[in-house]
Amino acid sequence: MPDLEPIVGRYLNVNIDQVNYRIYFEEAGEGIPLLCLHTAGADSRQFRHLLNDAEVTRRYRVIAFDMPYHGRSNPPDGWWLQKYLLTMKGYLALVRHVWLALGLERPVIMGGSMGGAIVLKLAAEYQRELHGIIGFESSAFAPGRYNDYLHHPAIHGSELVASYTFGLCAPNSPETSRRENWWYYSQSGPGVYAGDVHYYSNDWDGREDIKTIDTSVCKVSLLTGEYDYSCTPDMTRAVAAAIVGSRLVIMNGMGHFPMVENYPLFREFLLPELDFMATT
Amino acid sequence: MPQRAHSIFSDDWLVRAQAQVNTDAELQLIGTWFTTAFSLTCTDRRAERRAIVRFERRRLVDILPSPRLDVRCAFGFRASLEIWTKFFAANPEPLYHDFFAMLMRVPGFVLEGDTLVAMQNARALHRAMNVMRSVEP
Repeated sequence: MPDLEPIVGRYLNVNIDQVNYRIYFEEAGEGIPLLCLHTAGADSRQFRHLLNDAEVTRRYRVIAFDMPYHGRSNPPDGWWLQKYLLTMKGYLALVRHVWLALGLERPVIMGGSMGGAIVLKLAAEYQRELHGIIGFESSAFAPGRYNDYLHHPAIHGSELVASYTFGLCAPNSPETSRRENWWYYSQSGPGVYAGDVHYYSNDWDGREDIKTIDTSVCKVSLLTGEYDYSCTPDMTRAVAAAIVGSRLVIMNGMGHFPMVENYPLFREFLLPELDFMATT
Repeated sequence: MPQRAHSIFSDDWLVRAQAQVNTDAELQLIGTWFTTAFSLTCTDRRAERRAIVRFERRRLVDILPSPRLDVRCAFGFRASLEIWTKFFAANPEPLYHDFFAMLMRVPGFVLEGDTLVAMQNARALHRAMNVMRSVEP
């Protein structure tokens, strides 16, 4: 018998403002939809451990998709005539369209880093249609990550981006896992990480939006690694302070990529939050 | 009594760091184009310790403590004794565990000189700094 994992991959076509996007997603499990958003310049492979975690998939339908330009989701037609720059508006629309196209009823949406930022906006905009959000490495305002070297003709962008993000992992996370994330980062297209960071670090400012989130309607769990220097624990503490009733967990011994850099440790922090999300 | 700043990039440490870097399997694999020179500078109130390390195709071939003005280098890292001490700690505290973290969050940690050259060599440079970090000052 082949040693098959329970993960199934498919393609979904969505149309946003007359532009067609062919979106790759993977899923496993049954139950409450858990829509997962990868980090900047990466793809849904970051969630492979979660998708293989039977304790999660026995009560959650876990879905992770690749953003356009990432992983197996192509850029839209005509991509060669426009610079890739993700915006808050575009990111919000994309997640919303995928969510609706898949028919996910009252999902939990979970994201990390830039995904951890947009879940805050999703909660602010659509809280009555959500079970809740889980943001890891969530900040409402995160300047300082963008620089022109991230996409520069004199620099090997693949190696720079992967090395630039490698230290975001905690030093004690398993080396194999940290290297796995390095590999994912080395595979983003030219300028894709920079385009994502444009959203995360230049365009995103959710400091007012998050004040409108009602946690009696939409549950909010925030988890941030102590070694994260892109979204520091203090940045997430500021988010938690602005969202009354939110749950905050500072993950000791963790960095910016908990779902991939150290999943065994991450699940110890995540499972209680998934329990919390599942309670009525 | 030696100046405290000199304890970080001492002559003895530089020799040990050179040996460690030149036997690192990963750097020897990825460093084919790692040919550059950079400075390491440690300051405290009363003294400054500066050394230039010169790499040629993955190998650290020259260590030049207290270089004369005619010794050129492309870029360098400069920080106080306190900052370097945290960087070299066996279990570095958050924000001091990686030079990219320090560049973003530790104002006194400075990448000086031609930053483009530094980032062109980011992968090998990052590895070299991490290997050197494992050498006890």
